[in-house]
Amino acid sequence: MLTPWLFGFVLMWLIPMIISIYYSLTDFNLLNTPSFIGLDNYVRAFTGDATFWQALKVTFIYVFFLVPLRLAFALFVAMLLNKDHRGLGLYRTLYYIPSIIGGSIAVSIVWKQIFGNQGVAMTLLGAFGIEQKTSFLGNTHTALGVIILMGVWQFGSSMLIFLSALKQIPGSLYESAMVDGAKPWKVFTKITLPMLTPTIFFNLILQIVNGFRVFTESYVITDGGPLDSTLSYVLYMYRRAFTYFDMGYSCALAWILVAIIGVFTVVLFKTQGSWVHYEAGRE
Amino acid sequence: MKRHEKFKRILPAALAGVMVLSMAGCGSDGKTGDAASGDAQPAAAGTDGTQAADVPADDQASADGENVVIKMTWWGGQTRHDQTQAVCDLYTSLHPNVTFELSPSGWDGYFDKLSTQTASGSMPDIVQMDYLYLTTYAKNNSLADLQEFIDNGTIDVSGIDENLLQTGSVDGKMAAMVLSTSLLNVGYNPAVLQEAGVEEPTSDWTWNDFVAMCETIQSKTDKYGVSMDSVADTNIFNYWVRQQGGSLFSDDNKSLGYEDDKVFVDFVTMWNDLMGKEAMPDPDEYAQIATLGQEAGPVVTGDAGAIIEWNNYASKVSTVNDSIKMVTPPLAEGSDTKGLWMKPGMFFAIAEKSTVKQEAAEFINWFINSDEANDIMMAERGTPVSSAVRQHLIDSGNLGEQQIAMFEGVEAAAALCGETPAPDPAGISEVNEAFKKAANSVYYGQASAEDAAAAFREEANAILARNN
Repeated sequence: MLTPWLFGFVLMWLIPMIISIYYSLTDFNLLNTPSFIGLDNYVRAFTGDATFWQALKVTFIYVFFLVPLRLAFALFVAMLLNKDHRGLGLYRTLYYIPSIIGGSIAVSIVWKQIFGNQGVAMTLLGAFGIEQKTSFLGNTHTALGVIILMGVWQFGSSMLIFLSALKQIPGSLYESAMVDGAKPWKVFTKITLPMLTPTIFFNLILQIVNGFRVFTESYVITDGGPLDSTLSYVLYMYRRAFTYFDMGYSCALAWILVAIIGVFTVVLFKTQGSWVHYEAGRE
Repeated sequence: MKRHEKFKRILPAALAGVMVLSMAGCGSDGKTGDAASGDAQPAAAGTDGTQAADVPADDQASADGENVVIKMTWWGGQTRHDQTQAVCDLYTSLHPNVTFELSPSGWDGYFDKLSTQTASGSMPDIVQMDYLYLTTYAKNNSLADLQEFIDNGTIDVSGIDENLLQTGSVDGKMAAMVLSTSLLNVGYNPAVLQEAGVEEPTSDWTWNDFVAMCETIQSKTDKYGVSMDSVADTNIFNYWVRQQGGSLFSDDNKSLGYEDDKVFVDFVTMWNDLMGKEAMPDPDEYAQIATLGQEAGPVVTGDAGAIIEWNNYASKVSTVNDSIKMVTPPLAEGSDTKGLWMKPGMFFAIAEKSTVKQEAAEFINWFINSDEANDIMMAERGTPVSSAVRQHLIDSGNLGEQQIAMFEGVEAAAALCGETPAPDPAGISEVNEAFKKAANSVYYGQASAEDAAAAFREEANAILARNN
């Protein structure tokens, strides 16, 4: 049963991963025979590469805004869809669509058209008398915002997970709350939210990992510009590997990212005792 | 390592063996086909000791007219894809034992893919190469030395200008064969110039004339005087540096070649002023213009006056607007240093790992020198390198007005051309990125030109020192 999976895992995953550890310790440039240079690539990233820090900064800002916004939005829509409406199935599908197509090239190009110079956003604002010289994508202060907005818009998969979790919350809890005359806000903070914490935790980890991996948007919409203000970490890694022929260094960057994501995950797991509520565990 | 090398040598041989066996069954037309083409084979490298390992296999293949498949890749637009396909079909009909496996591509992503293929040992046999990456590939021994095919007469270079031919040479190795020449030019839309009441430029104009023209167009017509990305790569800057008597890179490629940052400051300031006067799109505006594609660009549609481009620009957009004219780029004020150079347009290189080098070299020779191949391609890749072919194309009467102007422009510009600079150093794409960033920081008003110049110098020197 597991054989095909195992085969794929080892061949497409494990072996490349191990090889990339080796490459990260060499001066491999895709074309040469790699020679071992120890930790030079790692040292170079931390001590001699301003663009590395810039890419790291951009990605951290992206993750710190994207994840809470996306989760809040996903939960909000999930709660709306948890009611009984006509055509609910249709809405669920509609809200999920951005997540399927959101990371695609086509949508990225559409966003570029909307927020670029003389795009829809600029024209609309102009109609309201707000004239801008530069577009949102051409402004170093707002370009990343556009990219984050596009990320938030792809809230569908978190929403579906929230929706199924909402359905799991026993109706009896809400009934007794109603009997006690609890206000909706109180019901939300005292019942819904605590019951959802395992799901929030799960979504949080998933979205943080996803957030650090942002690539398509910054590659297609802005190509990292203007002035590297949207240069995501993975895009920089890609450039290093395939445009600058700096594969060894790029592999080192990849492993630094693995370490960063690892630290986040471990820290989150450590904190979960204080805020994540598992039904079976306590009591 | 040893074992690895050995394996690498055995694998192609084993594969070739399998191919030979599988073809033996159905090879009868292949044999007759080869009898016809066999006489064209020069006495191959059998006597040449350096190639000992591969020679027996190759030799036999050509001698027996064994069927061979040549894998080939290039970048370009649809026109080039169609033409190259037709040329290859024609070659197959002349040499039935040679068939092709073609992978056309756009410029975007072409070199990303090529680097991956090369890393995995599956570089196509014939690769269209750009000056930008030639050094990188040559230095890493990914490209075959074509000198032996020139020496043994497979590739005839007698019609090619010696300086131009040498542009394919890296560290004493003929890493690639140049296919065409190009020159920096200014393309302009005469209608826009006329509307603004500006005289059409002549080849003795200067940068001051250029700036004045752009500003006049803007003030008279409210159109862009010039519409382009001035810092998309370092070619225009290279021209500028050469006009000041410097060179962009030092001889050893380990640092920038010009001493005084004023060169950079003046360059960026000129463009920045044009942007400030709305005579040129700023990077933000240009990002949107670029999405239109060249054929729908403002110069073509009559919404801008001029553009600095390669000299095949007018010919390239002639399907949309056939009135675009070209002129040599502006001269430096009060200096007669020859900044212009004949840039090798593009190259064909043969993969070092190719098992069909001889056949590939024969094809390249035919591609460059034969009338019938060039009749199909019609100089789409730029002015052909072979003087005989150029003459043939002019005589054939099939060239369009823009193409004839391009051919004549090359002859006329020769007087303005200095020595062709060495191929771009390894790390050039990173240098270009640093250059773009430094210049854009000025265009976005986030740095002074002086600071940007210093930042570019520091970054570029670090990149060049690391790569060369």
